[in-house]
Amino acid sequence: MERPLDLRPVPPGEPVSSLDELARALRCLPGVGPKAAQRMALHLLQHDREGAQRLARALDAAAKLVRHCERCNTFTEEAVCALCRSPRRDPGLLCVVETPADLMTMEQTQAYGGLYFVLMGRLSPLDGIGPKEIRLERLLKRATDGTVREVVLATNFTNEGEATAHTIGELLTARGLAVTRLARGVPVGGELEFVDAGTLAQAVRERRSFDR
Amino acid sequence: MAPRAPSQRRDDVPAFVLHAWPYRETSLIVEAFTADHGRVAMVARGAKRPRSELRGLLQAFQPLLLSWFGEAELKTLARAEWRGGLPLPRGSALMCGFYLNELLLKLLAREDPHPRLYAAYERALAELAAGGEQAALLRRFELGLLTELGYAPMFAREADTGAPLDPTADYHYAFDRGPRRAEGAERGAGPRVRGATLLALAEGRYPDAETAAQAKRLMREVLDHHLEQRGVESRRVVQDLLALDGGEGQR
Repeated sequence: MERPLDLRPVPPGEPVSSLDELARALRCLPGVGPKAAQRMALHLLQHDREGAQRLARALDAAAKLVRHCERCNTFTEEAVCALCRSPRRDPGLLCVVETPADLMTMEQTQAYGGLYFVLMGRLSPLDGIGPKEIRLERLLKRATDGTVREVVLATNFTNEGEATAHTIGELLTARGLAVTRLARGVPVGGELEFVDAGTLAQAVRERRSFDR
Repeated sequence: MAPRAPSQRRDDVPAFVLHAWPYRETSLIVEAFTADHGRVAMVARGAKRPRSELRGLLQAFQPLLLSWFGEAELKTLARAEWRGGLPLPRGSALMCGFYLNELLLKLLAREDPHPRLYAAYERALAELAAGGEQAALLRRFELGLLTELGYAPMFAREADTGAPLDPTADYHYAFDRGPRRAEGAERGAGPRVRGATLLALAEGRYPDAETAAQAKRLMREVLDHHLEQRGVESRRVVQDLLALDGGEGQR
């Protein structure tokens, strides 16, 4: 007499196989759900063992070696990053940005020759992210080192970025520093007809005197 | 039985975004406060893509016209248009704006229309953007919100007796009943406040800093009572900022 097949899935709580563990680990990536994670794990094991080894080594090295610059808080593998060590930058200028990606974008402009401070976030009162969560006191310490003359606020022009800029601006002007904010308005090459109304409205409100 | 409404589509409803959360790789979940349908949650598909028209538009404090569809609690945003006419609040007014949004998010049930409250919110934002006096404005909005939700706090008269308040006497304010005269140093139900503070709240006028500060503390306790221990994050953030600055707050 044959026993009927047991069609139930393996109950959860069984020892996790390496494959499952890999798929589970991949889910920490943004935008990767269970399906995509499984597909990635299967791909690596089935088609690209070498790529898998390389990925493992790169992840391990980055997670171990990358830390925050003591001066500007961006990612680096040294105590102080190359940009902060550069003698060609003006140490009297300090630009505050939200993320390392913002720093890189600012650098692409080739229009700024000072140093940076990377907040690694922004104030977001509704998400409970306040000055403690982004450790604002580190910026205050950095900006009041006696060398910085002017702080350029380059946080995003979202409500959260504006709130962050306002807060830092208040704290630093109270400490005697010159504080400036990135200008905003019609983009370069912008034709008024095609500029979004919100940007144009703000540009009208923040219009400046015409200098010859 | 009434026939089921066809696909629930709403077009060009005046609305404000209260807050938005990232959803999946390129989308947002938007909590909006709308003129005709109260608080509505919707998915804004692709709103985080670099070239999305919604990027920058789905910001709090901007008057918008929103169109959406869907029958489940989470709708799908079909279109958003900039309505304009209101400058964005700046500085401490912006912080007040976050606080108003958090109160609406935490106290309003979804899809419960509150047209009067919507008008009050729009007015409050306009006053904030114009640099109006913040403390009185916040108290007025807090009271309007509680009244609209049916909690109508009673400040002008004594609970039970209905007797007018004595500005110089002390009262215990019971959240669900109202003020009762405090006898001696005895501990009564609810926080202890001066009659003058309760009358100031009833009239929306704060003659001195002490009354304003006491009114703020009382409203905080009343709101906390209705929030059932779900703290107000934006309030804590402002307190942390003040601690960092060692300064005095406006609200």
